[in-house]
Amino acid sequence: MSTIAETASRAPTRRRMRVDGWRWAGRIFLVFMLLYTALPMIWMLITSIKSGFAATQFPPQWWPDEPTLASYQKLLDPQNSVGQDFLRFFWNSLFVSTVTTILSVIVAVPAAYAFSRFSFPGRNFLFFAVLLRNMFPAVIFLVPLFILMRAIGLVNTHGSLILTYLTFGLPLAIWLLKGFYDNIPVQLEQAARIDGATRFQAFIMIVMPLSTPGIIATAIYSFIGAWNEYIYAYTFLSKNEQLTLPVGIQRFFSENTTDFPGLMAASFMMSVPVVVLFLVLQRYFVRALTEGAVKH
Amino acid sequence: MSILAIETSKDRFALAQGGMGEPGRIPMTRITLGSAVLRGTVVTALMASLMPTSALAAPPVDLSKWSPEYVRSIAGTQDFDTAADCAKVTPLDYKGRLTFWYQGVFEGDPDLLRQYYKDFFETFRKTYPNIQLEEQALTYNDLLDKFRTALLGNAAPMAVRLQILGGTEFASKGYLAPLKPEDVGYSTEDFWPGAMKAVTWEGVTYGIPTNNETMAFIWNADIFKRAGLDPDKAPATWEDVVKYSKQIHDKLGIAGYGLVARKNAGNTPYRFMPQLWAYGGGVFDEATANPTYEQVQLDSPQSKAALQASYDMYVRDKSVPVSALTNQQADNQPLFVAGQLGMMISHPSDYNVMLDLQKKATGTDKDKAQTVIDNMRYGLIPTGPDGKRAVVFGGSNIHILKPEYVEGGKVDEPAAKAIICMWTSPEWSLKMAYAGSNPGNLNGFKTKWMKERLDNIKFLDVTTSMLPYGIPFPALPQAPEIMNIIIPDMLQNALTGAMTVDEAADDAAKKVKDVMGGL
Repeated sequence: MSTIAETASRAPTRRRMRVDGWRWAGRIFLVFMLLYTALPMIWMLITSIKSGFAATQFPPQWWPDEPTLASYQKLLDPQNSVGQDFLRFFWNSLFVSTVTTILSVIVAVPAAYAFSRFSFPGRNFLFFAVLLRNMFPAVIFLVPLFILMRAIGLVNTHGSLILTYLTFGLPLAIWLLKGFYDNIPVQLEQAARIDGATRFQAFIMIVMPLSTPGIIATAIYSFIGAWNEYIYAYTFLSKNEQLTLPVGIQRFFSENTTDFPGLMAASFMMSVPVVVLFLVLQRYFVRALTEGAVKH
Repeated sequence: MSILAIETSKDRFALAQGGMGEPGRIPMTRITLGSAVLRGTVVTALMASLMPTSALAAPPVDLSKWSPEYVRSIAGTQDFDTAADCAKVTPLDYKGRLTFWYQGVFEGDPDLLRQYYKDFFETFRKTYPNIQLEEQALTYNDLLDKFRTALLGNAAPMAVRLQILGGTEFASKGYLAPLKPEDVGYSTEDFWPGAMKAVTWEGVTYGIPTNNETMAFIWNADIFKRAGLDPDKAPATWEDVVKYSKQIHDKLGIAGYGLVARKNAGNTPYRFMPQLWAYGGGVFDEATANPTYEQVQLDSPQSKAALQASYDMYVRDKSVPVSALTNQQADNQPLFVAGQLGMMISHPSDYNVMLDLQKKATGTDKDKAQTVIDNMRYGLIPTGPDGKRAVVFGGSNIHILKPEYVEGGKVDEPAAKAIICMWTSPEWSLKMAYAGSNPGNLNGFKTKWMKERLDNIKFLDVTTSMLPYGIPFPALPQAPEIMNIIIPDMLQNALTGAMTVDEAADDAAKKVKDVMGGL
């Protein structure tokens, strides 16, 4: 009896210890990951408030002896050429990314719904065909797309970027949204139809509200993809007034020197919209990723 | 005869300079020029080796007398009226439109240089108020690739200013329209003969040099002193560089020499080729007076010795930055400023960049930055074991595109010539190169701005002194591929241990032969 009792009393302890060990390992891992992802951002921020000389010192100044906001003032001052350019690049990126996102959602929502709900000849083939574009490295399409854009007169326009980003972003958006629609019980729409709604009304009034997290996740994906894209923007645009931020911040690199504080300040400011967008909408984003992943 | 073979180790270039005592004060440089450059006959032969016959006719400056003293003697001796000169090429009231790309100056560049670029475009717009100019500045490492892509889509600008390597490549492919100095009111003899070679393909001139520079050597006197080296004496030979680099690393634990080996970055050949040529090697015979480019020499014992020196520093001694394989000059500069690098080949603009850093530093950093400048010493690039000294003759050229490759299919030639006339004028070719190069137009050395510059930026005395040792890159369409890809590849193969030094050199030689179509 005593043996059984001892065993019974010891067993939970061992189990708890085992669970605690994993938990601590998990916590350590998370802290490590947090540092891994956050430290570069923190270092970027610290460098951005240093002078050019302080930014190159070794051992590094972990916190600048003389913090300065000069780089930010320069970037945000529309009176000087650096500020003018930066603000213009910022606006261009915002415009291209927003239009890409809106168009992406407008096209992906009905397309994904159709793939999810309708049976038509070649449905599976078409569904995988839209993904074909994403199975190749982006750089393969660089020159052909450039020549195509040139032929249709879109080189040096933001239209060339929006069109290109859609060709990349749409397949992913359709794939993501289809998974989401698959999880919305078709019976809900059928009930709406029995109550007299048309298919379109059922889609707008029943399916759309339920798929909001998926649509938001898709929008975030599209926005981030367009916001950060470099190689196509670099190739298609050559006029200063049209450049987007990822290309524009190259101006901090020169032949023989780099303006590190300016570069870091510009990079930090470039990351702000994406971070804010993600923080505000993250609960939808995570929900969409998890809900779209499994079928009920 | 090789121009490298002219100078021997007996030459006595002794450069020593005092420190800068206070912010903004330029350190005084004492330059005692040795026999080789000052000896007119020798220099005449040396300069003549770079010249085509016609160039010997009447250059505006006497290249045979080239020395800092001579440059000082001609500075400020002539006035030029740029607007009046260019009006003869394109009337000042000409109405037109021009698209123009150029390697621009950006945030990291010296303030002085950025101001001159700004002034140039403002002045052009004032001088030619009816020409609608659409200029686009591109970064150094991006310009060639972006220009190539634009050409593929017939979306190139009407005029372009390219680094010196680019001219022959694009001329040989038929993208560029013939353009010679005489087309914009100047004479071929107004420009460095070596630079004219870089814009000439199969006897036709396709561009005009805007600026030409040679680099020099800088070192940190404090680091030298702490490492037990003479703080005011530059390494005389590349073997000394290897030795000094090891000594600095062993004693102080920091990098000795600023080796760079990044691929597809112009900085790499600009820093390795002087070493290669000094050892007597070469890609071809480009270091000779009349190169034929017929025989690849990258696998010669001399070339291998030069590569071995880099190998010794990176692999054997570990005395150069560990990041050298991906470094370019912009990565060496912070190391130098931070006192983590003993010596490096330096672009003429580096000095002004450091002055700017000091000017913008705050609090105690200002004094620290001043100390860095005080400890900066500069001299000639070291020689090879046989006393050969060499440096890349760099710079940029300006070109006009053929209409079929231009966006819109039309080139406004008078507008293009107007901006080219202005940029290559004595005045602006000096001003646009004020802090980092030399005027492509030799008359620029005679302007008052040259005199002002000589008074303000002593460091340029040294880079100007290196000009007679300048060797242009091979004037071949394959030169960008060879210099920006094959040479860095050779370095990387040897330094990463992927190949032995011999194998890397042989492999590079084979690649050059392949690129040249089976030489």
